[in-house]
Amino acid sequence: MIRLYDYDLSGNCYKVRLMLAILGLDYERKNVEFFPGKRHREPEFLAVNPLGQLPVLEDGDLRLTQSQAILTYLARAYDASGQWFPLDTPARTGQCLQWLGFADALTATASAARLADGMGFDFDGDAAREGAHKLFAVLDEHLWFHEREGHDWLVPGAAPTIADIACFPYVMLSEEGGIPREPFPAIRRWTDRVKRIPGFVVMPGIFPAILGSQ
Amino acid sequence: MTIERASGANGWVPVAASEDVIPRHVFQGKLLGQELAIWRADDGYVNIWENRCLHRGVRLSIGINTGTELICQYHGWRYANRNAGCTYIPAHPADAPPRTICNRTYPVREAAGLIWTHLDAVEPAFPALTEAPLVLRAMPLRAVPAAVEAALAAWSVEGLTAEGDLRFGDGSSQLQLYVQAVDAGQSVIRGVLTGALAGQGLVVLRRLNTALTALTRQLEAEALAAPAPAPIAPVYARVSEELAEMPGLEADLADGPGKIRVTLAAKKMVANGIVSLELKPLRGVLPTFQPGAHIDVALPSGLVRQYSLVNAPGETDRYVIGVKREAQSTGGSEAIHEHLREGDLLAISEPRNNFTLRRDAAQTIFIAGGIGVTPLLAMSAALAGDGQDFQLHYFAAGQEHLAFQDRLAALGDRLTPHLGLDPAATAAKLRDILAQPGPAKQVYVCGPGPMLDATLKIAAEAGWPDNSVHFEYFKNTQTLDDSQAFEIALARSAVTLQVPAGKSILQVLRENGIKMASSCGQGACGTCKVRVLEGTPDHQDVYLNASEKASNATIMTCVSRAKTDRLILDL
Repeated sequence: MIRLYDYDLSGNCYKVRLMLAILGLDYERKNVEFFPGKRHREPEFLAVNPLGQLPVLEDGDLRLTQSQAILTYLARAYDASGQWFPLDTPARTGQCLQWLGFADALTATASAARLADGMGFDFDGDAAREGAHKLFAVLDEHLWFHEREGHDWLVPGAAPTIADIACFPYVMLSEEGGIPREPFPAIRRWTDRVKRIPGFVVMPGIFPAILGSQ
Repeated sequence: MTIERASGANGWVPVAASEDVIPRHVFQGKLLGQELAIWRADDGYVNIWENRCLHRGVRLSIGINTGTELICQYHGWRYANRNAGCTYIPAHPADAPPRTICNRTYPVREAAGLIWTHLDAVEPAFPALTEAPLVLRAMPLRAVPAAVEAALAAWSVEGLTAEGDLRFGDGSSQLQLYVQAVDAGQSVIRGVLTGALAGQGLVVLRRLNTALTALTRQLEAEALAAPAPAPIAPVYARVSEELAEMPGLEADLADGPGKIRVTLAAKKMVANGIVSLELKPLRGVLPTFQPGAHIDVALPSGLVRQYSLVNAPGETDRYVIGVKREAQSTGGSEAIHEHLREGDLLAISEPRNNFTLRRDAAQTIFIAGGIGVTPLLAMSAALAGDGQDFQLHYFAAGQEHLAFQDRLAALGDRLTPHLGLDPAATAAKLRDILAQPGPAKQVYVCGPGPMLDATLKIAAEAGWPDNSVHFEYFKNTQTLDDSQAFEIALARSAVTLQVPAGKSILQVLRENGIKMASSCGQGACGTCKVRVLEGTPDHQDVYLNASEKASNATIMTCVSRAKTDRLILDL
C-alpha cells in the first residue's frame, strides 16, 4: 500500500493526490499538520524527512521526497501507457523536465506569496508576487502560441503529462497570494482543461469546471 | 482624468478575442475597473456580465458554464444565457426564482475576431472593421492606459508606420491596435493585422508579440518609476428596488398580455393537429423563464390564452409554444391554426411559473397526456442537461400525435411513448408507472382533465404523498357555484369588502383598486393565489392539491369563494 505524508492545503501534496487519483491508485494518507501546528518541524516527521518538507511518499521500501520526483516515480511505476512521463522522444522528455523545473520556480514564488499572506510566513510577499507574475507571463505566452499550433498541454503532444499536474496547483491557488490570473487568459483556459482530465479531484480553493465532479 | 482619453472610456472597445471565449469556459475580463465574466453559450451567443453573483458577490468567472447556463460555485445559483435571469436556487428547490433576480449585462458585439463592449450611456456607433483578420496575442501591461496610447502613437513595427488612431500601414498591410483601459494603472494592447503580412500567420504573430513584449518592458519600467495611480472603484449594479424590498404582491405582478411585443418567427406543424409557434422579441431580450413556465398570448381576435414554454435551458432567443387544434375550439386554437401567419405581431405576458421543477429529486417521473407534454419537455431538457435520472411517459393517440419529435429524440431512452391506449389501459399503465413511491422521487403530470384526475387518484392509492405529485390542468372543467355572498377583510390594507353572488373575489378586489395578478381566470394556473389568514375557503379551483385545499392556507381568488361568512386575506 502506498503511503502519503500529506497536508490538505499544500499545493505540492495536492499534485500528488491528483496524480494518484488520475492513475486510480489507492493509498493511505497520513496527515501532517503544517499550519498552524508546524508538525513538519517535529522529530517524528523529521525522522521521515530530515528536510522537514511535505509531501513524502512511501511505496514498499522506497521513500521519496520532492513532489516533482514523486510524480515522476508514480508515472514510471504505474502508468503503463507512458503518457504521463514521456520517454518517446528525447525532446519531449527534456521539455517535461523543463516544466518540472518551472513548477519548482512556482513553489518559490506563487506558493511563497500564499504562505506569506495566508499562513503568516516571514517571506517577502511583494518579491514573490513579482516573480510569479513574470513566470505567469512566460507561461501564458507559451500556452497561447501552443494552442495555435494545436497543442493543449505544456509538453507538445495529444495528452497531458506530469508537467501539467506539477504546474497546475500553485497557478490555480495564486489569488490566495494576491497574484491575479485575469491578465492571462491562455493560462485560465489551460487550467480548465486540466480540470477536465478524467479522475480530476479538487482541493480547498480549487473548484471543478464541470457539474458533478467531486 | 487622463484615463477618459483612453479608447476604453468612449465607444466600443474590444475586451476579449473571439478565440478566448471557447465553449464551456468563463473568460475573466476587466474594463475601467469593472470586472467582467464573459462566456459563450452552446448556441454561439457571447454573454458579458458583471463578474459577481447577485447572491453573495462571488466571482462568476470561477463558475461553471454548462453551455446554456452559468452556475455560481458558491451556492449553485444558475443564470440563463442571454437574459442573465436566475433560473434556479438550490436552497429553494420548490420555488421559482423571481424574474427580478437578473445579472447586470453589458452590450455585446462580436466582430473581426474580437468581443466588444462599451460603458457609454448612449450606444455609440460601431467602428467599420475588416472581417477575418489575424488577431494578435493580447499583451497585458501594468501601465496607465493613456501613457500606453501615447507610446504607441509614435511606435512603428515591421516597417509599418503610424497613420493615426493606432493604425499602422505600409500600403499592403495594416495593423490596428487598441488599448483596453483595464484599470487606472493597467492596460491590455489588442490588435488585428490584415493584408500581405497577415499571410505569414503564426510567424508574424510571434514577431509582433516579441516587439510588443519589448515595448511592455519599457513602459512597465517607466510606470514603476512614477507613483502608481489608485485603482478605479468598481461601480456595482444597483439591486432593483423590487429585489431590495420584501417581496410584495406587486413585485411579481404581471400586467397581463400586452407587456411584450413579439413577432411570430416560425409556425410549423409538429404533430397531427399541433403547431409550434416560435416567438421572437421585436427588440431587446426576452425575460427569463424556468421550466414549467407559461405565457399569456393575446390573439388578434382579443382572446387571451395560456401556453406553456417548451424551451430548453439557455434557449433564450425565442419562446417556443405548442398549440393543439381543439375540436370544440372556443376560438383560441382555431384562430392560431387558421389565421396566424409568420411575421404577425403578437402581444404576450412575461413568463409565470406556477408549475416549478425541483432539481433535487433522486428520480423524476414525467407523465404527459397529448399536448400536456409541452411544459414537461422543458423540464426534461433541464434535467437531461444536468445528467439527472428521469423518465418521460408520453400518452398519445398514435405515433403521428407525438409532438416536437426533434426534442423527443434528444431524450433517447428516457422517453417512453404509450400510444393508442383506452382509459382502462391508460389507468393500468399509470398503475405500473406509479407502483413504487419513494422519499426522493417526484412526479409531474400534465394532460387532459380526465387523465389528470385518474393519475392523481392512482398516485394517492399507490401511497404517493401529495407534495411529491405536481400537476397542471389546462382548464377547470368543474361546474362553478358563485351563488354565495360573503365578506372579505384585507388584513394589510385594513379594508372590508362585500363579495356578492355572481362576482369573484378577484373582480371585487380590482373594482376597489387593488392590483392583482391573474392569468387563466378559471382556477387552473395559480397566478391569483392569496394567503388566507382566517375563515374557510370554498375551493373551486384545480390548481391546489388535496392537502393544500384541506389546509385552507391559500385561495384562488378568480373562482374560489367562502364557506364562512367572512374571509380574512393577506392583502
